[in-house]
Amino acid sequence: MEPQLSWYLALSAILFTIGVTGVIIKRNVIAMFMCIELMLNAVNLTFVAFASFFQDVTGQLFVFIVMTVAAAEAAVGLGIIIAIFRNRESLDVDEASILKL
Amino acid sequence: MLALLFILFAGLAIGCGLAVVAQRNPLYSAISLIGVFISLACLYVMLAAPFIAAVQVIVYAGAIMVLVVFVIMLLNVEQEERGRARLKFLVPTAVALSAVLIAEVAFILVTVQEFRVNPSSAPSNVGLTHSIGAQLFTRYLLPFEITSILLLMAIVGAMTLARRGGLLSPNARIVPGAQVLPLSMVDPNAEPDDLRPVAANTSEEAARTLGITKRD
Repeated sequence: MEPQLSWYLALSAILFTIGVTGVIIKRNVIAMFMCIELMLNAVNLTFVAFASFFQDVTGQLFVFIVMTVAAAEAAVGLGIIIAIFRNRESLDVDEASILKL
Repeated sequence: MLALLFILFAGLAIGCGLAVVAQRNPLYSAISLIGVFISLACLYVMLAAPFIAAVQVIVYAGAIMVLVVFVIMLLNVEQEERGRARLKFLVPTAVALSAVLIAEVAFILVTVQEFRVNPSSAPSNVGLTHSIGAQLFTRYLLPFEITSILLLMAIVGAMTLARRGGLLSPNARIVPGAQVLPLSMVDPNAEPDDLRPVAANTSEEAARTLGITKRD
């Protein structure tokens, strides 16, 4: 039996849900960051599944661009994390509730 | 056979994803996340997208996760303490919301008609590097250029954010033809092996720049 499109979509939804749950319940900002990466990957899986089942390369191009954006986000996000840690000596998001580095 | 592979890699992805959320040590979370990335790359290969699979391993599991692990080790993050949450309602909210989402997925899987794909016997070139490159540099050139501008902004932003305070102290100024001296040559109180560079024309000027008073 071949894997159907809905299987991939279900897996993507489950991974996205895990990511959302992690962003809500985690307090360490690096862990939240990794959960965001998990959500991005879930969306990528949807793109690739549709691209493969519709025989259209556009979805894979979007995955490529999403990966680039994720890399840029990683660079800037980790820079912000380092700046926050330098000023507060903590990575707890509850303590970094003021939007000032 | 393919279904078995799908179940294997999907189970691996879900298990590692749950471990990302469940682990308290961020380093274990990062390693679990690498597991998710690898199993997703295997799924991309099953979906006839070898280029995306390779980029997934190289960029995600390679570059981004190395950056994350590097920052975790650099900051020496302690484990999350238990039961100190100020917002206590968050965990039940998260569990309820995820239960709703999973229920939606189950409902869709049960009720919605399966999408029928006409199996194309001829091997297609979708997903190969050639077709992706051809489309990327012709039809999707504008998104490509916008992405490169975004990357440039990310480089500048990361450098601005991560540098400490500023490159120069408020008193310092750049003198043309200035000499670079180690701090131990200007400051008599400094350790002999203090080799922080000081840019100045004279020792007095360097001492003034650093705010050092001579001992005598």
